Amino acid sequence: MCDETRIDRRKFLGFAGFAGGALSLEPKAGSAQEPTERSVIWNSNFDPESLDPKWNPRALPEKGETIHEFDIDLVIAEHEIVPRIVFHAYAYNGVVPGPELRVREGEWIKVNFTNKTHDLHTIHWHGIDLACEMDGVPLGTQYPVMYNQTFQYLFRAQPSGTHWYHCHNMTPLHIQAGMYGPLIIEPINDPVLQAFPYSRDYTLVLSEIDTDYVRDQMNAMLQMGEVMDYMNGSPTLMKEMSGKMMGWFVNKEAFVKAVKDGWTPPYDPSIAGPPRLPNPNFFMINGKSYPMTEPIMIKSGEFIRVRFINAGAATRFMHLHGHDFWVVCEDGAPLASPIRHNTVAVHPSNTVDIIIHGTNPGMWHFHDHSEISDTNNGSFPGGMMTMLMYEDAAKYGVHVPDIIAVNS
Amino acid sequence: MKPTSFMASAIMLLVLPFYAQAQGRISPIPENPSTAPQIELDGTGIATLAFQNRKSTSGSATQFDFSDSSLMLGISQRLLKSGAVGSFVAGVTTTDQTESSSATSLLLSQLYLDYQNRSMDAYLGRNGVQTKLFDFPTLRGSDLNEFVNVLDPFSNGVITDESRYSDTAGIQWNHKLHYFMDLHLQHLLTTAAPYAGQTGINSYGVTLKYEAAPELTAISKVPFWGAGYERQTIGTAQGGASNILYGGIIYNIVPSPINRLDLRLQDIYSFSNGLSSISSVPDTFRAASNSVAASLRFLHQVQGMPGYEIALTGGYRSYNNFTHANTYALALTGTKRLGVGFDLITQYTFQHRESLYASALGVPKDESRIELGFVFNFENTFNPHIGPRRTLQNLQHQYIPE
Repeated sequence: MCDETRIDRRKFLGFAGFAGGALSLEPKAGSAQEPTERSVIWNSNFDPESLDPKWNPRALPEKGETIHEFDIDLVIAEHEIVPRIVFHAYAYNGVVPGPELRVREGEWIKVNFTNKTHDLHTIHWHGIDLACEMDGVPLGTQYPVMYNQTFQYLFRAQPSGTHWYHCHNMTPLHIQAGMYGPLIIEPINDPVLQAFPYSRDYTLVLSEIDTDYVRDQMNAMLQMGEVMDYMNGSPTLMKEMSGKMMGWFVNKEAFVKAVKDGWTPPYDPSIAGPPRLPNPNFFMINGKSYPMTEPIMIKSGEFIRVRFINAGAATRFMHLHGHDFWVVCEDGAPLASPIRHNTVAVHPSNTVDIIIHGTNPGMWHFHDHSEISDTNNGSFPGGMMTMLMYEDAAKYGVHVPDIIAVNS
Repeated sequence: MKPTSFMASAIMLLVLPFYAQAQGRISPIPENPSTAPQIELDGTGIATLAFQNRKSTSGSATQFDFSDSSLMLGISQRLLKSGAVGSFVAGVTTTDQTESSSATSLLLSQLYLDYQNRSMDAYLGRNGVQTKLFDFPTLRGSDLNEFVNVLDPFSNGVITDESRYSDTAGIQWNHKLHYFMDLHLQHLLTTAAPYAGQTGINSYGVTLKYEAAPELTAISKVPFWGAGYERQTIGTAQGGASNILYGGIIYNIVPSPINRLDLRLQDIYSFSNGLSSISSVPDTFRAASNSVAASLRFLHQVQGMPGYEIALTGGYRSYNNFTHANTYALALTGTKRLGVGFDLITQYTFQHRESLYASALGVPKDESRIELGFVFNFENTFNPHIGPRRTLQNLQHQYIPE
């Protein structure tokens, strides 16, 4: 860890120069002094090459290696957040979040992804060191998967830790609409388990949705997709599927030329009008809002592991009542040393693992302390809230009332 | 009509919600004033400069025309039963230019309440006539009026739009939100003798319709078809009740989101009215007749590029019991899109009337008109929280009540 008290003025200036060099985006030749400066600023065990993948991301499976094969179909499904609040979801295998994929580090993952909607989709494997062709970025590393097409993803599970996957096409819509799921890569030797002998392992995917935005945008995207599918069936109409129709161009010059020739980009106010950005009205843990969220169960003296995955667009400040906990991993990687907190920030796309020790029998609120997200359509309590429940609370004389409140 | 009176009416419409709220305070059941409804504001502005081959009463062959401009306010609220929506709609439409009676040149075209759930609609109030199947691609809804609309036999004909709006009560059931059956009662607007001023039910009927998904009309082979029966209770002194059968279809000859060619075809056949002569405008609306109308429309539209539309609409009308009363008309309409909702438009219309028909209307046998102007359409929704029933998700997947 960085020990700030040991940075004197000369070394601080050296650090500032290092940062400035990074900001310039210009590669610079290293000087003979740099290794010495680094070793003083960070721990002497710091290894700048520790980020390197253990296995070559572009390698293919070899005989005898374990390959886990998953079939994931993208369908439009009804998903209920709380009673009377149901929306049409883009759902991997019909569920929100998508199914949890859990494999051992170094094993192979093969996913047969079939799109059964008229919109365009991919799967991006967030935080995974893989070949770029498997990264799931439409028009970046692959063509989007169209209606009734199947795309096969194949990659080795690395690095270990808590990760997730999501669609990378029309991301503001598709993630809100349900296209996200956990990807857990268990390390060969789990340092967290060695330090904390946890017996239960929970995954909490945090997300939010603007149900009106999702309905309207999904309708528009499905319309465009169905029209494209129709055009695909006609050689004449296929000729019309140019960059001007799709908004796809071979390079910047072609895009600029099209605009000069009279093509109006979709963000132009003459087409877009005032911006219509998502304004979430429901906030979820594993696809449900309080009181329909699942409680986290614990016993006195037990260690449990909780993995947070933020699939939303705002930072969540997860706070546990009545306990401190240990933050042990971020973005799947173990911290140099656990950090004690009772509230932990989980940034958009960020994953954070914590360890809770059962030290205070009872039932305890566990929620995002930005509070706005503890609502259902503006009504408190609700949203991104769950409970830590002691199974043996009664043994300690703790009375847990059997009540669900949906109105304060 | 003077623009200032139009604006005054628009302002009056905008304050209607506050009036409604005030009414709510004295209702027997207390309301929650903090539950904001969904508000939709729609409008169409049409302004053209028209040149006719006959002089108008003011002596000029050139005329400013901003009829069929409209402003409509819709207010909706989710109801307690899941999937049910209650709505209130109010709107005004400018009518034909009648300088001498400017008070009537703004028509209250919409003022109705609607209860809707997945399977049915129930509506009550002033609305578009329930015999209207679809719009033809002419500049205004009243263009080629006697060919495309089931005419109002109780109208004196001064305001053409009286055949387009009525007081109505009805229930519409649907099957999978594609097939609709509508049973309705109507009070057709009554300005002609001897019924002028009456307000009772004078028309009723049933309509059957099929509608493709609204987002897929460009690529559906048959986006729409419909048929209906209507009985208009005309008194025996005016020839007796009129029974009307009508049907129409929209057929995409070339379905395409880029270069689309579609055909609209409609027939309106009225029978059983026994008028022995036609000598006035209302007589021409009442007498047994057959009207057929068709249009060919070519629409070119590339996303992100200005589009254009060219349409040719024609109509032919004949009377079952009279000779020399036939008439036909053509309209050639061109539209150039200048921006979202804003178009430059031109239209040429020609109508020929045989002698008996021209005499009854008091107009020349041949008449032509050319117009050039702008059209602006808009619709905006405030406080959006009620989705339309007919999204692609609802039509093609599980239905979710809104």
